Amino acid sequence: MKEAILFVAVTALAADFEWNLPKGFPKPVVPADNPMSAAKVELGRYLFYDKRISVNGKQSCGSCHRQELAFTDGLARAAGTTGELHPRSSMSLVNVAYAPTLTWANPTLTSLEEQALGPLLNTAPVELGLKGREEVFLGELRRDPVYQQLFKKVYPGTANPFTLGNVTKTLAAFERTIISMRSPYDRYRWGGEPDALSPAAKRGELIFFSSERGGCFQCHEGWNFSEIRYEGGHDGPDDRAMTGAFLNTGVSHYAAPNRGIYEFTGQPQDIGKFRAPTLRNIELTAPYMHDGSMATLEDVIAHYAAGGKYPHANQSKVIRPLQLSQQDRRDLIEFLKSLTDRDMLRDPRWSDPWAGKPH
Amino acid sequence: MRTILLAMLLITGLFAQETDAVQITGDVKQPLTLSAADLAKYPRATVRTTSNGMETVYEGVWLHEVLKKAGVPQGGELRGKALSSYVLAMAQDGYQVLFSLGELDPAFIDNQILLADTANGKPMFGAQGRFRLVVPKDKPGARSVRMLTKIEVVQLRKAQ
Repeated sequence: MKEAILFVAVTALAADFEWNLPKGFPKPVVPADNPMSAAKVELGRYLFYDKRISVNGKQSCGSCHRQELAFTDGLARAAGTTGELHPRSSMSLVNVAYAPTLTWANPTLTSLEEQALGPLLNTAPVELGLKGREEVFLGELRRDPVYQQLFKKVYPGTANPFTLGNVTKTLAAFERTIISMRSPYDRYRWGGEPDALSPAAKRGELIFFSSERGGCFQCHEGWNFSEIRYEGGHDGPDDRAMTGAFLNTGVSHYAAPNRGIYEFTGQPQDIGKFRAPTLRNIELTAPYMHDGSMATLEDVIAHYAAGGKYPHANQSKVIRPLQLSQQDRRDLIEFLKSLTDRDMLRDPRWSDPWAGKPH
Repeated sequence: MRTILLAMLLITGLFAQETDAVQITGDVKQPLTLSAADLAKYPRATVRTTSNGMETVYEGVWLHEVLKKAGVPQGGELRGKALSSYVLAMAQDGYQVLFSLGELDPAFIDNQILLADTANGKPMFGAQGRFRLVVPKDKPGARSVRMLTKIEVVQLRKAQ
């Protein structure tokens, strides 16, 4: 009987979350042991922006994933709370719920819950620096009236809901809600608004989706401009068979520790292979590439038009010199800018709840 | 200078403009230029695809129906010399893919190759092109040519 009541309570909690996706877009995958609920997402928002999560109280998750920059930080390489530089650039969290694997070059990391532990506990380099201080932080949460109320609501019937596992589950649930599908391009392509794009962006679309002229879509594929997983699975036949989800695109010499998925697989043919990230909101996520080595979209297009900068045996065959006029490049950039979802940058669902409040 | 400017305008125009008809040309008895209005008079067919979790219903005409109208050998006539013919599908940007006549004929094989003109009930546009091929039985999407402008039938038979 008790179990039945608990089950009903959990179901009711889960059922109060609505994705509210535009028509036609698939739902993301949610792990069975971490169902969505409106309260959990709200608690996640508080945790995401809480600087007490860092060793010196200077940074939160939101420090390297800033809403106004499409949840990136504007830096070439992320800087942790004690100032240590990460070897790679902060990735956008937009549509991270659909990412089959997480981070730039870890083919084994598939769970957002697990990923959240990285920035919390990593020591080489220190990101938030929570390692060894976990209990102190959880104690702070336990004493805070905001969290006393929220944790009880999200994890009812638990003697001690203030655990690191619940913190990462909650952060993951919040991150899953950061979804962008309402850019001008979405309105043009799927929303029945032919005038949502400028003529230049429309010309850019043709270059992007032409394998003869740009071929960008071959790696930045589908509605998310990156490979995805969604509720119900993969599509079966998969373009990844041709390109691979991780690619060497001739961006650098790929010295350690930036050797791509090789760091995990140890296979020489994997040196330099990094994720092709989503291009949604790319206008706001400069500087570009895993190492932040390209300052502007013009630089990125020049890189691909040249067929890569640092020739490597593993370089993808998709990367080859392109004939792009100055006008073509401008058009491509206009197209990429049409992927910016401005509403998302101001949406209160993802904003800092602590802003203006002492904590 | 003016010539260069004019050339640039023409090139830009070429790529920006959507073609409003598909040509069926080459070794055919009856070359055709088909607009969406023409295709509307053919037997219509639909194909449902899912890409990245997004479903699209394409409507148009099976390519073999169009080829039949152009007088390309089909069924019992598709034998001997005709079996060395192929079909080149060409896109506005120069992209080309090839099908053999045999793999387009339902008398040979249960294939599905649609010359589509609408997606989810609406005329296609932009990077889809006004017309495209949809080949759901192919594993990759590479032969589902977008921005389709021309279908050329070529007789390949070589002298011994």
